[in-house]
Amino acid sequence: MSRLIYWVSVTFCASFLILPLVVVWPLAFNPSSFLTYPMEGFTFDWFAKVLSDPGWTRPMLNSVRVALGVTVLAVVIGGLAALGVMMTRRGTQIVLSALFVSPLVVPSVVVAVALAYAFGRTGVGGGYLSLVLAHSIVAAPLVFLSVMTSLRGLDPNLDLAGASLGASRIYRFFTVTLPLTAPGFAAGAVFAFITSFDEVVLALFLADPGSSTLPIALFAGLRDRLEPPIVVVAVLLSVLSVLFLMLLNYLQKRHAAPRS
Amino acid sequence: MTSLEIKNINKHYGAVQALHDVSLSINKGEFVTLLGPSGSGKTTVLKILAGFEPVTSGQVLMEGRDVTALPPEKRNFGLVFQGYALFPHMSVYDNIAYPLRVRRQSKAMIDERVLAALDLVQLRKFANRRPQELSGGQQQRVALARALVFKPDVLLLDEPMSALDKQLRHDLQEELREIHRSLGTTFINVTHDQEEAMHMSDRIAIMDHGQIKQYDTAHQLYRRPASRFVAEFVGKSNVFQGEVRGSGSSARFYSASFEMPLADAQTGASTVMIRPEDAEITTTAPNDGRITLPVQVISSTYSGDRALYTLLQSDGADFIAYAPARSGVFPDGTDIFVSFASQDVIALA
Ligand SMILES: Nc1ncnc2c1ncn2[C@@H]1O[C@H](COP(=O)(O)OP(=O)(O)O)[C@@H](O)[C@H]1O
Ligand SMILES: [Mg+2]
Repeated sequence: MSRLIYWVSVTFCASFLILPLVVVWPLAFNPSSFLTYPMEGFTFDWFAKVLSDPGWTRPMLNSVRVALGVTVLAVVIGGLAALGVMMTRRGTQIVLSALFVSPLVVPSVVVAVALAYAFGRTGVGGGYLSLVLAHSIVAAPLVFLSVMTSLRGLDPNLDLAGASLGASRIYRFFTVTLPLTAPGFAAGAVFAFITSFDEVVLALFLADPGSSTLPIALFAGLRDRLEPPIVVVAVLLSVLSVLFLMLLNYLQKRHAAPRS
Repeated sequence: MTSLEIKNINKHYGAVQALHDVSLSINKGEFVTLLGPSGSGKTTVLKILAGFEPVTSGQVLMEGRDVTALPPEKRNFGLVFQGYALFPHMSVYDNIAYPLRVRRQSKAMIDERVLAALDLVQLRKFANRRPQELSGGQQQRVALARALVFKPDVLLLDEPMSALDKQLRHDLQEELREIHRSLGTTFINVTHDQEEAMHMSDRIAIMDHGQIKQYDTAHQLYRRPASRFVAEFVGKSNVFQGEVRGSGSSARFYSASFEMPLADAQTGASTVMIRPEDAEITTTAPNDGRITLPVQVISSTYSGDRALYTLLQSDGADFIAYAPARSGVFPDGTDIFVSFASQDVIALA
């Protein structure tokens, strides 16, 4: 009976989540410029077209640049926050954790409006820098949570042992804490990258034409011309997501291993 | 020559007072054990010595220098943790080399000292293994090597044997004593195992409820316990509660089962104690002035060289006594006599 429920729910969820994607994918290889079935043949032409069209490649590069910047910034901020919070007492930990995670709960539109206003007033360059800062606010909590989880799993005596052996706090961090929680930092970095890469709302409010990111280009494309390049980009993004999921999965396995 | 001195330390964890006015002075090269039941504050003392916990009041002096506020990394104290706390991502070699690398020693020097430490604990051929690939006893010895390799002024050990089985524990006790003798480092060991404490230590501090009850050699603790708690915690004992009548040379001790004169060393004692090896068992009452109690055998534990009897006194209390067992043991239920000399009666406060 429970097996039946299991299979029914898995099938239902899978079809609900995956079917719409799978139905669209083949159209990326359809020679016709209309997004309709039946397929008229098989071609990579649309891929070539997308990859040689600056209208697509520029937002792609922008997205990668922003996401990389966000990854670095979010790992530093989220990681330091997690390390600091772990050093405080239990009650303080709960309050500070809630505070650091709050950007995940506040609606992006609110953050977007607030930042657009603030950046406008302070003159923080529209575009690249403002996007990195804005995305980092949303990505840092993810790093924070991921690093917190691995720090909680770390035997606190290891740090004390390092101290009793004469190691300063910094030395202990780089020789004991960081190597043992590296998978947590890495998973946080992957989360941060993905979050920035497909973020739309903040980008809509903050990007100028020169720093427009891929999700915005997709959004615009969806409104203007419903053509196969959109599906091509969707396929590319799906492949990227799958790769990242596999990476996360690998990191989590590595994380579980050394604790025997 | 006092090396390490703990002066009037109090320690509160919120509303809980974990240590009450703890003072200890430890000589250079001495092997001192903190012995006490679980929760008596032993680990707290060790944490304060290691610098992991601040004191509420009091001082820790190292060779006369106040180190109370010194962070752990500046103390040069080695510490063997209860769970060993070996670095799981490093080989045995790198674990032991860690404190030397921290101190920026040359590669050649590190190699020499790590190998010497590995030899000391007989683990040279495991140098390249990860700690997880070693047995409990081997991990324990790696932890010991790591805590000793940088020549600490004091080595602190928190229940180093508690996770090991009995045979291994015995072997390691021998090894630890040997290492202590050959290095001459001051060792401070924590245990709740009184046999371990008696085997290894020059002096033992008995702790209970955050206080040091008595600080003395194993022999003094055993023969001259300062309180009923110490008497019952160290070794086996038969305690009698009674009252003192008269004073000076005519003072006598009265309990429900017997009475006796009190010698000078025993003055004013309303609680006394007899060790089981000081009692004798006979089938007839001896008539030589010894204090004699009629008893019945409840049970006996035969161990080849002797037997430990649990005996029932007429007032319903137990009495335990060792007796030679060359010609067998008395069966349970036998009515016999137990006797002891009044000078073997140990006065407790
Ligand atoms: N971090 C702490 N917070 C609150 N109470 C503690 C803490 N550490 C120890 N205690 C309390 O202090 C007392 C002594 O503990 P401890 O030194 O660990 O005893 P032992 O090592 O002798 O078993 C116990 O009552 C314990 O509950
Ligand atoms: Mg303890």
